[in-house]
Amino acid sequence: MSRFLLTRLALLVPTLLGVLIVTFLLLYVAPGDPVQAMVGERADPETIARLRAELHLDDPLPTQFVRYVGGVVRGDLGTSYITHRQILDDLLHRFPATLQLAGAAMLFAALTGISVGIYGSWRPGGFVDRASALGAYLGVSFPVYWVGLLLILVFAVTFRWLPPSGARGPLYLILPALALGMRSVAFLSRMTRAAMQEVLQSDYVRTARAKGLGEGRVVLRHAFRNALLPVVTVLGLDFGSYLTGSILTETIFSWPGVGRYVLTAIEKRDLPAVQGSILFLSLVFVLVNLVTDMVYARVDPRVAYD
Amino acid sequence: MRLPTGPAIPLLRRSLLSGLLLLGACAVGDAPRGAGLQYYESADPASLDPALSSDVQSGEMVALLFDNLVRFDVDAKLEPGLARRWESDSSGTVYTFHLRTDARFHDGRRIDARAVRASLLRALDPASKSGRQWPLFPIEGAREYASGKSARVPGIHVPDDSTIVFTLTEPLNIFPKLLAMPVAAVVPGAPPPGFGQAPVGSGPWRFVSWSHDDAIVLARNPAYWGGAPKADSLVVRIIPEALTQGAEYETGNLSVVEIPFGETQRWEMARPQELQHRPALRDLFIAMNTTRGPLRDVRVRRALNLGTDVATLLRTQMAGRGVRAAGAIPPGIVGYDSTRAPYPWDTAGARRLLREAGYPNGFSVRLWRSQRAELARVAQSVQQDLGLLGIRVEIVERDAPSVRATVRNGEADLYLGDWWADYPDPENFTYPLFHSSNKGTGGNYAFLSDSSLDAMIIRARSTPDTLEKERLSRAIDARVFDLAPWIFLWFPIDIWAVQPDVKGWRIPAVFTGQRWIGVERVR
Repeated sequence: MSRFLLTRLALLVPTLLGVLIVTFLLLYVAPGDPVQAMVGERADPETIARLRAELHLDDPLPTQFVRYVGGVVRGDLGTSYITHRQILDDLLHRFPATLQLAGAAMLFAALTGISVGIYGSWRPGGFVDRASALGAYLGVSFPVYWVGLLLILVFAVTFRWLPPSGARGPLYLILPALALGMRSVAFLSRMTRAAMQEVLQSDYVRTARAKGLGEGRVVLRHAFRNALLPVVTVLGLDFGSYLTGSILTETIFSWPGVGRYVLTAIEKRDLPAVQGSILFLSLVFVLVNLVTDMVYARVDPRVAYD
Repeated sequence: MRLPTGPAIPLLRRSLLSGLLLLGACAVGDAPRGAGLQYYESADPASLDPALSSDVQSGEMVALLFDNLVRFDVDAKLEPGLARRWESDSSGTVYTFHLRTDARFHDGRRIDARAVRASLLRALDPASKSGRQWPLFPIEGAREYASGKSARVPGIHVPDDSTIVFTLTEPLNIFPKLLAMPVAAVVPGAPPPGFGQAPVGSGPWRFVSWSHDDAIVLARNPAYWGGAPKADSLVVRIIPEALTQGAEYETGNLSVVEIPFGETQRWEMARPQELQHRPALRDLFIAMNTTRGPLRDVRVRRALNLGTDVATLLRTQMAGRGVRAAGAIPPGIVGYDSTRAPYPWDTAGARRLLREAGYPNGFSVRLWRSQRAELARVAQSVQQDLGLLGIRVEIVERDAPSVRATVRNGEADLYLGDWWADYPDPENFTYPLFHSSNKGTGGNYAFLSDSSLDAMIIRARSTPDTLEKERLSRAIDARVFDLAPWIFLWFPIDIWAVQPDVKGWRIPAVFTGQRWIGVERVR
């Protein structure tokens, strides 16, 4: 296991280097000029030329790349062209908010999705099962911005139960977490149900029942544990994507996370901020995947990496 | 054992509901209310350092936190700031400002003429990395100083503690207005690194805290020379989504909110008594690149104006929120001529002009626009209208930086965009937009080059005679209308909602014009 971990960690370096190269090239070919965004609507050519020179934007691309990688190796993601603040500081400042939202959304999704899935597989064709199928269908069909606005309209504007947006405490977390987690609820419930149905047909479940075990013990201990692998996969992937910023949810609910930071950076062609964010978020994503793989081994002893 | 069925579900639902109710009760109780005011920005300001403020959000915050020598009131009238009065000499190149002596920074330091000079030099210093120095470039030596070619600015002179004298490179009657812009706001000497994150100003509001993408908290400056603000605090939330801004207002969490164009009718039905209207100092237009293809011919450009049914578009798609434009100078600005009729919708006339110009069967053009929802309807409507003339318009929709780069490089045939006043003066709607020296990046997106127009624009910005300036500005606008470098659309009307318990707030005519000093909540 430790060898596996070391190998995977070593593989991070080429992965992130690849990410760096691709981002760098993409930003280079994308239209739009960072200096034009810095100077605003009205500018004179002299100022633009001076800023281009100061930012080394006229250097050959390989030179710019080597300079950037040199900084990254020293742990320096550079300074934003627009805000003149350290990019790493800005990302670290926003990441806790993203972590909170992603955690709350996953908690909601896991609790709801898995219980509905288990219940549905245990009583296939029952009311809960059919309702959850419809719910899952709607859950993946409605775009998050529509659901988000609807939630605000119903729970904040009409009933005044919850605040519409912002990040001033646990109450503010509820609506964005519901909006963000909804798609995962749908996936998880269907995934759990399918995996459970298969397991519930198996011989050892029949044996467990034959031994006279209680139904709760059969379903939750014997069956569910074996149905957990695909569920962990969905959990890991969704958590990874939530952690790398949920631009729409964060925008609608004025949530101060990394997604909005990336969006602003792209809109203003703040090149070092875009590069730094993508690098940072790639690292987060790869690490979450690594953790997911390790959870596999924990869940199923047959999965051995060495 | 069986899993709980039946009654467990309603029970669960009941407890969930009561839980939500409980949470809801807390939420309402916790909402920040009282003597404080709540405003918002749709994006996190780039910085609170005046030298770095190139976006509207930064500019608005700088106006709350800092003082300039002069400033705009809510109606965009130039009024005294740190300077009690000012005058220019007969040549129009020397401006003398007399400072008030009772102004202090929030840390207690006095503001004198030396501090003002140091602050302006700092904004010009290449080390400050400011991208917005052009308002100071008319000062003699400023341009050279900013480019590092010179170590001093001879055009700024401080004869005594309360007097500062500017010498300009050429006569420029808008110079005092340029000093009201955010980049000219006065900062205390030698600001530390990170000043833009936690600034010390002298304005009506004192900086308290800034949580990025969340909120900026300001407290009243009780010692403000212009009278302390009536409210204790002003919280500026960062709320990017327009519909969320509306929801925050409706739940009482914002003192004011701007009504988006698509929401006009809903708000006019639901809360008419809370709405304020104000014609914005803003142009909405389609710039035609006068150096590309058929658009080089003025007859073609006039034909495009005649072929666009602006009145119907404005009425049906924009809820009538605009004043038809017959030129570029908006109402409320000297030089606006309400008697000049806009181009009528006249497809027969348009076809005749196209025939004369040699395009009886039309031609193909590309119309560039950014992704703002407001612009989508306009672009589609114009595409349909021009299609009737045989002009095939391909709409190219990209993010703002891509559109900006294409338009400024002169690669777009048509560009649907808008122009906001930086300062209320006809110069702001003529020199950047149509003078040949400003093609592309400067604001002249039509790449118009007309020597008689150039001459009039320069005369209008240099004459010290206000009547002459007004006459010239009218003539310039008439000439622009005639040359038709744009499809003239309209001057939009701003609509804001103001909470019934918020008194003293009005829509500012320019973005720096509302300092929230006289605004209060009345229970």
